[in-house]
Amino acid sequence: MTKITINGRSIEADPTKPLIHACHANGAEVPMYCYHPGLSPVGSCRICQVEVQQGTGPARVVVACRTPVAEGMVVNTEAPKAHETRRECLEFLLKNHPLDCPICDKAGECDLQDYAFAENQGEGRTHEPRRKLDKRKSLGDVIVLDEERCILCSRCVRFMEEVPKTPQLTVSDLGSRSTISTFMDRPLSGNYQGNLADVCPVGALTLKQFRFQARVWNLKKSLSTCGECSRGCAITVEVLRGQDVKRFRPRYNASVNQWWMCDTGRFSSARHNATERIVAARRTSRGLEVAGLEEALAAAAALLSGAPAPLIVASPFTTQEEAKELLALAKVLGAAAHFVLPAPSGLKDALLNTGEPAPNRRGLAELGFAPLSPAEARAKLAGARCAVLAGERVLELLGREELARSASPKVVTFDTHALEGAAAEACIGIPEQVEKTGTWINIDGHAGKLHVARPAPKGVGPLTRSLQALTRLLQPSSAPAR
Amino acid sequence: MSQHPTYLLDRAKIEGAHTLAVAQKHGAYEALRKILKEGITYAQVIQVVKDSGLRGRGGAGFPTGMKWSFMPDPAKDPRPRYLAVNADESEPGTCKDRVLMEQDPHGFIEGCLVAAYAIRAQAVYIYVRGEYRHPYNRVFQALAEARKAGLVGKRILGSDFDCEVWMHKGAGAYICGEETGLMESLEGKRGHPRPKPPFPAMFGLWGQPTTVNNVETVFNAPFIVNRGAAWFQSMGTKTSTGNLLVGVSGHVNRPGVYELPFGVSCREIVEDVCGGVWKGKRLKGFFPGGSSTGVLPASFLDTKLEHDAIKATGSMLGTAAMIVMDEDTCMVRAHEIIARFYEHESCGQCSQCREGTQWLHQIFRRIENGEGRHEDIDMLVTLSQGMAPGKTICALSDAAAIPTLAVVKHFRSEFQEHVEKGACPHLPAGTRRPVLAGHGAAH
Repeated sequence: MTKITINGRSIEADPTKPLIHACHANGAEVPMYCYHPGLSPVGSCRICQVEVQQGTGPARVVVACRTPVAEGMVVNTEAPKAHETRRECLEFLLKNHPLDCPICDKAGECDLQDYAFAENQGEGRTHEPRRKLDKRKSLGDVIVLDEERCILCSRCVRFMEEVPKTPQLTVSDLGSRSTISTFMDRPLSGNYQGNLADVCPVGALTLKQFRFQARVWNLKKSLSTCGECSRGCAITVEVLRGQDVKRFRPRYNASVNQWWMCDTGRFSSARHNATERIVAARRTSRGLEVAGLEEALAAAAALLSGAPAPLIVASPFTTQEEAKELLALAKVLGAAAHFVLPAPSGLKDALLNTGEPAPNRRGLAELGFAPLSPAEARAKLAGARCAVLAGERVLELLGREELARSASPKVVTFDTHALEGAAAEACIGIPEQVEKTGTWINIDGHAGKLHVARPAPKGVGPLTRSLQALTRLLQPSSAPAR
Repeated sequence: MSQHPTYLLDRAKIEGAHTLAVAQKHGAYEALRKILKEGITYAQVIQVVKDSGLRGRGGAGFPTGMKWSFMPDPAKDPRPRYLAVNADESEPGTCKDRVLMEQDPHGFIEGCLVAAYAIRAQAVYIYVRGEYRHPYNRVFQALAEARKAGLVGKRILGSDFDCEVWMHKGAGAYICGEETGLMESLEGKRGHPRPKPPFPAMFGLWGQPTTVNNVETVFNAPFIVNRGAAWFQSMGTKTSTGNLLVGVSGHVNRPGVYELPFGVSCREIVEDVCGGVWKGKRLKGFFPGGSSTGVLPASFLDTKLEHDAIKATGSMLGTAAMIVMDEDTCMVRAHEIIARFYEHESCGQCSQCREGTQWLHQIFRRIENGEGRHEDIDMLVTLSQGMAPGKTICALSDAAAIPTLAVVKHFRSEFQEHVEKGACPHLPAGTRRPVLAGHGAAH
């Protein structure tokens, strides 16, 4: 570590990282556009000017993103000269910026907007006509480019080159005519395009999927973990009005996904807005009927209590906490615990996606759950008298249609939706991954936390609690259920 | 004509000097021969160039010997090393390297080889401005002849000095004349200047130690090796030694490239060497060294043409490309054209330069077209101060800001006249100049 002074405070800085990193790590606010901690620094936007004094030399104003830290360096981020240089630079950046924040999806989380407000540059001195360029240039299925808003920081170009290593973007033409483009205007490809909207410091690159969907300050952000593969990227779940999941965004986690996530994970947010959800149902003489939770649990207990060794099949989305309750249930029933391991998704890549659509595979395996392919699970079910199918998407992964076709075995399901067909004795609703707390263990053994981003539908309780209640009902010497 | 000792253009004036036979008859490759036959060491070559006080002729005037000595010691750093010769002469007004390449290509090649020897480079890359077809062809042919004669390539003149010389044609971008932009372009990338540090001597072409020199700079080296540092110092001034090529263009009777020692006065150049301002008119102002050095009014005509004296006026010597303007020149129009050039040539990396060059151009154009406001004149100043000095990766932003600051300083009244009259006072009433095509800029 290198000892330097930032704004009068002595601190230890990481010598492998540029000065701007030390500034940010120590509460000195230095704006940045072209610099991104996950990309190589180019020092082209020139906004991160700070004053640096070394040894006996005079104080100089330099860009913090291209300045290495050196022992004894004295940094003043608020020196009048540095501040003035940043202010001038900002004025140039705003010169051709369309200032269409009221209709810009980035407004509210835009670095340019934030700094312009901080510097009170609401009004410009320019009287010149602003650049007229393409306001909605499609760059493929994921991204749309607004050339007028672009400040040519080249983060997107470097992201494509350095992170997924699929260079597709470039700055074309020169000087004030520069624009971001692809070769021959070909659409972008790859599973990491969504990150371009995150790295873009302004509203130039936005997600088609999120375009005009919400004002970002109306979104409630909750920390969570992506469930699309066993990488378990750290994400934030962003919910509008406590209801619609509007987007998943990657959240920095040094040991899992750094700043990134794949598009498969990012756009899985749409799946969490299904309207129809089950609370509880049980089979009566008239078929499967909506019931109270207690009634459904009682029906489940009635089915399971006399049955010899029922089968327990969990979803790979089951959290560690839920899995432990399933084990308790398995112990009472004398049953073996399994989980469905879906076939590889074919999306495996060298960066993040493991191609294994089972976020808690490692955690479940460590708890002693045996993996079964959907076909193996169905074969095992065919030979069983009754079974418990538990966890988000377990019915979908096992094959709803196949399950619906046969009346045996009799099953108790814990899923977001009911199981159609003759097999279901009791169906109990559970929260989705964005509606519950819990833990998944990723492929490398890192624990990824889930938090409640949106309330579960009325009447739907946590799976852990439903399982506890069922276990209590099945215990021979159990006290009456509370 | 003034009587000053000459050496740079002596051979160039001889008929057929671009051929090896004639060039060698008149002294070409003698310095190279002397170095290789007499066993003069690398260090000795650097030392004599240091002693001579030779300063770079590409515009910045950095001491050449010192630049060469920045190259790491090959004993400690065994990486390959290169010499890149900047022949991308594109500063408006500058046309001196062209004369050397066209008229004395062998002198130029010898200069490249001497410089390459001094920095122990195994290859020389000559980056020629794309529009310079004739100079390119001349050097290319000369190179073929020299290679055939064993003067270029492996075991030059039977010694153990290997040096290959390659030529590369630019594609017409001013920014590729900036040394790091030039290296990027040579590597096959967009000519975007690199942030410094790291400096080219440590991280240059393909990441290897590299020195970038101007054509005229390396051209001087063989003369210094042959005739010694004392001879070189006998010309010019104490801090600017030797002769330099002065390219005079604009409103003079005899524009052209002249060889003159540092320290002659600008008056001598305009009135004596170039035969005075044309059509019997009076002088209004002049650029001492290309469009990116600030304009000076006629009252500065007695300034000596050397680095320190020109610097004292607030301008720069640059490439000593004097652009002379007579009393009828509209300074606003002249600077509108210059601002347009810098807008067109900005690479677009740095915010200040990309937006600032366009902004300056727009303001100059408005004032020239009679749409200016009084605030615009101060805007030109504050914007230029936001663009320079040293606020960007390379000096193009400075090159646009410096002439703007200078013209407002020296010719503010002309701007006020434009604003007050609502038209250019140099045009007959009621007429407008055609608007210059702006490249992609909003109109």
